[in-house]
Amino acid sequence: MAATKRLQKELVDIRNSGLKSFRDIHVDETNILTWQGLIVPDNPPYNKGAFKIEINFPAEYPFKPPKINFKTKIYHPNIDEKGQVCLPIISAENWKPATRTDQVIQALVALVNEPEPEHPLRADLAEEYLKDKKKFTKNAEEFTKKHSEKRPAE
Amino acid sequence: MEAITAVAQDPESDMDCSDNEGFDDYDYYNATEDNDIEQVDPSKTDPEHFEYECLTEEQVERLLNETVEILSNNLQITPSLAKVLLHSHSWAVTSIISKYRSNPDNLLINSKVKPVTTPSTSSTCSRYMTCPVCVSPQVNERFFSLSCLHSFCKDCWTTHFEVQIGQGISTAISCMARECEVLAPEDFVLKHLSRTTMREKFQQYSFQDYVKSHPELRFCPGPNCQVVVRSRELKAKRSVCCQCKTIFCFKCGMDYHAPTDCLTIKKWLTKCADDSETANYISAHTKDCPNCHICIEKNGGCNHMQCYNCKYDFCWMCLGDWKAHGSEYYECSRYKENPNIAHESVHAQAREALKKYLHYYERWENHSKSLKLEAHTLEKLKARINQKVMSGLGTWIDWQYLFTAAALLAKCRYTLQYTYPYAYYMETGPRKELFEYQQAQLEAEIENLSWKIERAETTDRGDLENQMDIAEKRRTTLLKDFLDV
Repeated sequence: MAATKRLQKELVDIRNSGLKSFRDIHVDETNILTWQGLIVPDNPPYNKGAFKIEINFPAEYPFKPPKINFKTKIYHPNIDEKGQVCLPIISAENWKPATRTDQVIQALVALVNEPEPEHPLRADLAEEYLKDKKKFTKNAEEFTKKHSEKRPAE
Repeated sequence: MEAITAVAQDPESDMDCSDNEGFDDYDYYNATEDNDIEQVDPSKTDPEHFEYECLTEEQVERLLNETVEILSNNLQITPSLAKVLLHSHSWAVTSIISKYRSNPDNLLINSKVKPVTTPSTSSTCSRYMTCPVCVSPQVNERFFSLSCLHSFCKDCWTTHFEVQIGQGISTAISCMARECEVLAPEDFVLKHLSRTTMREKFQQYSFQDYVKSHPELRFCPGPNCQVVVRSRELKAKRSVCCQCKTIFCFKCGMDYHAPTDCLTIKKWLTKCADDSETANYISAHTKDCPNCHICIEKNGGCNHMQCYNCKYDFCWMCLGDWKAHGSEYYECSRYKENPNIAHESVHAQAREALKKYLHYYERWENHSKSLKLEAHTLEKLKARINQKVMSGLGTWIDWQYLFTAAALLAKCRYTLQYTYPYAYYMETGPRKELFEYQQAQLEAEIENLSWKIERAETTDRGDLENQMDIAEKRRTTLLKDFLDV
């Protein structure tokens, strides 16, 4: 299967690259199509914790894009309560087979660090973000402290 | 019993269509145009006049290929590249050629034939390369690229194309490299597709894309109909498919909607879909007779009602006495706005807005229902004529004029139905007053005609033909003044 070979290579590369913002990558040996890992953002208010995500690759990968889900609750305009995230790089219209997973993760980390309230998944949070940034930051920080995972040691 | 074939004469019989099957399908909009006696230029006198032709798939392909050939000969490019350029420029050959003459790079980059930045040729000395998509090393000969020079192996291109085609994408398939927008032209795609089903699908989807991007072409919206209508007038005019007889607006492909324009009718239909529950709830299908209060169901097209119980004549729309309608002024199509609305509370304004909408919606819906009852009305008409003929009152041929009249009535009613969305979105003012005046005139004459058809007792057609003429004149007058395409 084309997906397996490519994902094995990507997994090795990503583990060797020593990405600080994406760690603790777990992949079940019997199913390379599902990856789990920890997003570790740098920017406040999300730098108080870490967020578990799951990446699901379709059997047609890399000709069809992977899907990403947050397993940890997060207070973010672009990530909804179910953990779904709207990331243009992996939308069906924009997907390119040559795009690598590390590029996808970088795009995701950038989105977590810098929310894009112009095209939100949660309109209420986007409005708060735009109208009362202070209140948003305070709420997001409290939410992060309460719900997020512990950040791994450096 | 054979009937109605008499009215289903195709006015566009000079069109390129020899197929006259489904001739006895009753087409209410189309008939009666053979009444025109004077031979005058229809484009001047008839506001709905529209020149178009119905094409088969092969004819469209020939037409497209001719254009492709002109461009590829003129610019000395492959037909496949010419197709990419034409598709992205709405098939405007002359404009493409002049753009190419002034700045070829600009044109090719904007059309996604060439990459934005000139690619650097990667100098590989080895005989092997690793495909970035499937990460398997292969001999150089197995690698292919578009003008952007992003190389991928043959198998990956094939899978890429098959997956894209599987999602219905054809003319918009691009290079596999990240952030590269260069499009794969037809010959490149076909070179990598070996399965016949895939090749056929690709060609079928491309053809649909080409037709949709061509301003002079429009697919007939009829179910399973392959006909493409072509017109050089890119207007919201009435097209009739020569094959399945579907009537539609050439510009938007929806049901024909004169005098309302494409955007307004879309807005109106969306609004009706949103509000239909409320509207249905409020305007029930039955009404009580205003005189004896017996419950009456409307079973024909005419708004002039006569209670079967007390014989009271009244108007279905406003429930007023019909006597007030027959004379010079017919007003129940006009919506009277509350002049004090600005001073009312928000709640009252919302109620007023709903009232206004319901006024227009009820009339829209009423005429739509009347049209749907048309088949039923024709059946009744047939039965009545039969009865007359049996009792020695004229021959079957003598009564045919009633069908012609019924067809004209349907045509008028259809236009009248589409005047209501137009009026709803009109701003208050003298123009709206004029519009509603003409609308009321049309409505009055339609009801007269409807009444006369339902009760024609003799083969004396003079009176009815006079009424037909008046109704059609009212209809064309309104369209002449307000159909703006």
